[in-house]
Amino acid sequence: MKYYLKLGIILLIIAATASGILAYINNFTRPIIDKNREEQKAQARKEVLPQAATFDSIMTLNSENVYRGKNDEGKTIGYTMVAALYGYSSNVKTMVGLNSDLQINKIKVIDQKETPGLGANCEQDAFQKQFMGFFLDSLKVDKDGGKIESITGATITSRAVTNSIEKGILTLEKSLSVGKEESIK
Amino acid sequence: MNIFKEFTKGLVKENPVFVMALGLCPTLAVTTSVENAIGMGLAATFVLVMSNIIISLIKNFIPNKIRIPSYIVVIASFVTIVDMVMEAYVPALHKNLGLFIPLIVVNCIILGRAEAFAGKNNVVSSIFDGFGMGFGFTLALIVIGGIREILGVGEFLGFPLLSENYKPILVAILAPGAFLVMGLLMGLMNLAKKKEE
Repeated sequence: MKYYLKLGIILLIIAATASGILAYINNFTRPIIDKNREEQKAQARKEVLPQAATFDSIMTLNSENVYRGKNDEGKTIGYTMVAALYGYSSNVKTMVGLNSDLQINKIKVIDQKETPGLGANCEQDAFQKQFMGFFLDSLKVDKDGGKIESITGATITSRAVTNSIEKGILTLEKSLSVGKEESIK
Repeated sequence: MNIFKEFTKGLVKENPVFVMALGLCPTLAVTTSVENAIGMGLAATFVLVMSNIIISLIKNFIPNKIRIPSYIVVIASFVTIVDMVMEAYVPALHKNLGLFIPLIVVNCIILGRAEAFAGKNNVVSSIFDGFGMGFGFTLALIVIGGIREILGVGEFLGFPLLSENYKPILVAILAPGAFLVMGLLMGLMNLAKKKEE
């Protein structure tokens, strides 16, 4: 009995020491990590909606904030949102910049772990540039009868990006029109 | 001299991947490019050396019956440290390896060396053993990653190596390519060993 108690106590000491050290390190890396992530997102927002001077959050979508971008005079010139959908092997997250009439200004894939050499090529400019100027109604990959040229034959990643953006714009459109009606009343 | 041997044995003679066939899961998973291979190899080496040091230091304090859970706690702690520090200071590399870093915990090279070496030897030789095995692992990853990246993308470390007309053999960077390349390399190693005898 005493022997087993001793085993437990030794294991407890080891685990307690380990968690103490981890807590200490977490304490000083956490702020840096959070700052890095925020900076990356802020940079992506600037990139997809460069005309905007300030951004303010208006709603959440895919547990990320949707921002309304305003120019120097305070006029709304567009929105940024994070579109996300599961592709072939990961959640593909795309930062989307929209003009005020919900036309796509620019997109940037910010997070994906798709197959290198195939789906991962969605990060290349050639693919992302295609989306510029698209409206909701024409947003489909070539296999689905649309105009977005997919990166691979299987179309899985391309479709994930395209459909996530489509879904995002739909949600945004809906909540914007609800907001308008309310303000009229 | 003995200590030097502890270092060199991991590189070729007892190479963890090609000879002992340990840690194959991360080997197959991260060798899609040389960059990933180096990152994974060095992260695993760090964890291996640190856990070897700690385990050889506290081996007399740990009763035999609970040695495995204790080793796992030590290893998991170092992996978590690597994970946090990498995300804070080299976020780009962390983004590529993110999924695989927690897998270092269950990389059997590390537990294997803790059990087979660090738990029985002193600190200094454990450090050399850790470095040797770690570099052996890194070397194996780089070789496999290099072959796969050259065949599958036509690049090495991101630099274009083959002519523009080269049509990449995509299968090399997909999962089956990992098995094929590793199997062929293991076979070659065995062939070379047989010839020596």
